[in-house]
Amino acid sequence: MQLEEKALAFRCGEDHLYGVLSAPPCPAARGVLIVVGGPQYRAGSHRQFTLLARSLAAAGTPAMRFDYRGMGDSEGAPRDFTAVGDDLAAAIDHFFAVQPGLREVVLWGLCDAASAILFYAGADHRVAGIALLNPWARTEEGLARATLKHYYGRRLLAPEFWAKLARGRFDVAGSARSAWRMLAAAAGSPAPAASSLSERMREGLARFDGKVLLMLSGADLTAREFAGLAAGSPEWQDLLGAPRVTRQQLAGADHTCSRRVWQDQVAEWTSAWLRAW
Amino acid sequence: MTAEAFFLPAAAGARYCVFHPAAGACRGALLYVHPFAEEMHKSRRMAALAARALAASGIAVLQIDLHGCGDSSGEFADARWDAWKEDLAAGLAWLRERTGMAPGLWGLRLGALLALDYARGASEAPRRLLLWQPVLNGATFLTQFLRLRLAAAMLDGDTGRGGVAALRGALQAGETLEVAGYTLTPALAADLDGLDGAAPVRAGVPVHWFEVVADAQRLVPPAAATQSAHWRLQGTALQLQLVPGPSFWNTQEIAESAGLVAATVAACAEDGDAA
Repeated sequence: MQLEEKALAFRCGEDHLYGVLSAPPCPAARGVLIVVGGPQYRAGSHRQFTLLARSLAAAGTPAMRFDYRGMGDSEGAPRDFTAVGDDLAAAIDHFFAVQPGLREVVLWGLCDAASAILFYAGADHRVAGIALLNPWARTEEGLARATLKHYYGRRLLAPEFWAKLARGRFDVAGSARSAWRMLAAAAGSPAPAASSLSERMREGLARFDGKVLLMLSGADLTAREFAGLAAGSPEWQDLLGAPRVTRQQLAGADHTCSRRVWQDQVAEWTSAWLRAW
Repeated sequence: MTAEAFFLPAAAGARYCVFHPAAGACRGALLYVHPFAEEMHKSRRMAALAARALAASGIAVLQIDLHGCGDSSGEFADARWDAWKEDLAAGLAWLRERTGMAPGLWGLRLGALLALDYARGASEAPRRLLLWQPVLNGATFLTQFLRLRLAAAMLDGDTGRGGVAALRGALQAGETLEVAGYTLTPALAADLDGLDGAAPVRAGVPVHWFEVVADAQRLVPPAAATQSAHWRLQGTALQLQLVPGPSFWNTQEIAESAGLVAATVAACAEDGDAA
């Protein structure tokens, strides 16, 4: 397998953005643009996006990843995931410019990149599908509930857990304070209010008419919170229950899928889904 | 000036590089050596900011992703210390050819230790060493890295029984470990374990050492004070400078230190033929 990687540089407004294209020898007409979320640059936590791009390219899909303005190697001021539409448009333009035979793209994103993709996808006809891993729909109340239910619930009262953390020089006092704040937040809001973030995400999903792959990690608060949000809203349930949506659940995996077996599973699901339509 | 990104052909594939040409007349050249694992990712923005500022001041900078790191070829499991030194040699040769300058090395954390170690054995001494928060003890650094795995295991409800010693034992018995998403091989662990940053600096190579501290009132950390005094006694021209600012290589969110960028540019402007 002769996989070629190209270093890319392109403009977004006045700034230069940097990225890498992983190009298979016989590229499919549908490419994947990996959108980078959170405090990461285009290699991703533990290089997961470098490896995902290579894995997709090995299966015939051209894959590109890049840094938003203000992240990684790219110029410009940092911005948050709600303000990256121009960066995504510039990256897709460049993807079409450098990858011969490309007809459409899938946007792939983890965490707040998945949220950014939901905001963007419906407005660009070149986007045929979106792949979302552990989308970020955080609200204070939702976080508190998810944390208490799925994390502290098991361990908060186990003294040996705290003793072990203390020996590992963790900030036990700080953790206890944050747990207390979460208890207060959960108690103070009997019904989680819909946040404007989750509403915008839902509107974005409704506006987009392509294929959707939703992957949730089993041991991740962000994923739990998203699942909780979706389960608590008929509108979300309608959207996610549609036949165009493929759902996958990765038991035991953390937020960034930090074990190789989890990364490989995510890459496999993505490739299989790309082949299925 | 716009930075140029390219893949530099090398052993077992290619290394991702970003070259920042000097604005105006080139006064010097530096090869940037990134830190280890996730620290490289967290500090990517700071490396880019400093590289652009240096380039604007007339110092050309080449950033290189080492084998198995970032966008370069290979898996992290393929990485070896000696092969990383070959990457530095390739980067320095490219930089020398491109700029016509004798390049220096600028390293962050474990990258600083790699730069020091490379300089000791290189056929041609680097023009200078810029050290950002250098790691000086490979074994201690490995211990800290292995603790990440213990912490993850404990958060998972595991006992973490045996601690770092058990993990070292597993490595010595030939077991490969996943630590914070990185595949740590017994070979690379042994490489790290054997590193002695306190060995003498390559003779004749000036060192500018930047130590990041939480606030301006802090004194020189004891380890840095001892080590820098030791190297000075051995004849190294060494400047140690404290810079208040965030530990941008391991903060949760991406952090910037304008003070460190400015101090680094100023250090390279001080002596005439700079880098």
